[in-house]
Amino acid sequence: MQRWLSILIFSVVAVPVMAEVLTGTDAEAQLPFWELRVPGMSLRLVQRLPDQTRAYFMGRGFSKAQAEQIAQSCIFQTIYKNTAHAGSPLIIDYDLGQWQVLHAGKVSKLKLREDWQRHWQLQKINTAAAIAFEWSLLPTRQTYKANDYNWGMTSFALPPGSQFDVLLHWQENGVAKNARMQHLECAPDIHPQPN
Amino acid sequence: MLFLRVAIIILSLSFTLIGRAADAGQALHPIADHRAAPGFALYDMDDKQHSLADYRGKVVIVNFWATWCPPCRQEFPSMEKAYQQLQKDDIVMLAIDVGEDGDTIFEFTADYPVTFPILMDMDAKITRQYGVIGLPTTYIIDPQGRLAYQVIGTREWTDPGLLNAIRTIKSQKANSQ
Repeated sequence: MQRWLSILIFSVVAVPVMAEVLTGTDAEAQLPFWELRVPGMSLRLVQRLPDQTRAYFMGRGFSKAQAEQIAQSCIFQTIYKNTAHAGSPLIIDYDLGQWQVLHAGKVSKLKLREDWQRHWQLQKINTAAAIAFEWSLLPTRQTYKANDYNWGMTSFALPPGSQFDVLLHWQENGVAKNARMQHLECAPDIHPQPN
Repeated sequence: MLFLRVAIIILSLSFTLIGRAADAGQALHPIADHRAAPGFALYDMDDKQHSLADYRGKVVIVNFWATWCPPCRQEFPSMEKAYQQLQKDDIVMLAIDVGEDGDTIFEFTADYPVTFPILMDMDAKITRQYGVIGLPTTYIIDPQGRLAYQVIGTREWTDPGLLNAIRTIKSQKANSQ
């Protein structure tokens, strides 16, 4: 309740930003991407196929059933950057807990590191797997000074193939901003068969 | 006279461009409170223990990374090149792997050979003590054992401006003695 209240307050006081959103095929992943660019900041979301996610986490100590749970959670590879030039005083702060996922007329939230941590505690996964999972996800909160950035996975907690919008919230030198990225799509769960 | 003017213009433009290249994407962020770097004693892949205290009096670059982290892999070659230069200045570079075992790292170094020590923080305890929440993150520790700079994400470590900034920490120590 408190979390939703803070999201509501944040949405009311934040300045909506007219952002450029690029889409295309990520050269490295060869999968669709959506990239938001505003002066001093960029955020790129690149689809991850459920099969890639299964393989990645099974290689890091998760059982097939556990890896399946992650694979079905709409995972994106996420690259979040402060693109200001070196020496710029621009500081970007974000909290993924404030982002809103808009899908089929409903508003939901991302499944964060902390949410997954609680989930795994109940399933008693081994320590190495828990560490690999935690560090593979984009930090829930972060502060970027000029040229700083992170790569990490984000989990939108929607079924494969879902289309959705995401309302992003961040702060620039303490000033709350938001922008909407539209028509994103979770990767479909396809299983290519050998010819 | 005309030749001299043209030469001056070309020269000043070159300095501007070099300055921008050195600036582009290579910021080190000073840590204002200069708090003490958390101590550690971690093993490298040859079972040799490295304690931060062993390096007191030297500038130490501590890079937190993991083999599965794409930007970490991306910056490893430039870190190695930088290390080849900084070693001559008695500057130490330590890469701390988060949560992986020696076999995994050994396999990785077949593709990304480096000569600086790679230490293992298997339970991520030291990584957390440094306040790292995303990889790669790098700290530069001054000769007094205090955190001088932080970097989140990769840098081109061979950038001359960046290397000079690191060397300056060492010379500041020399001047203060």
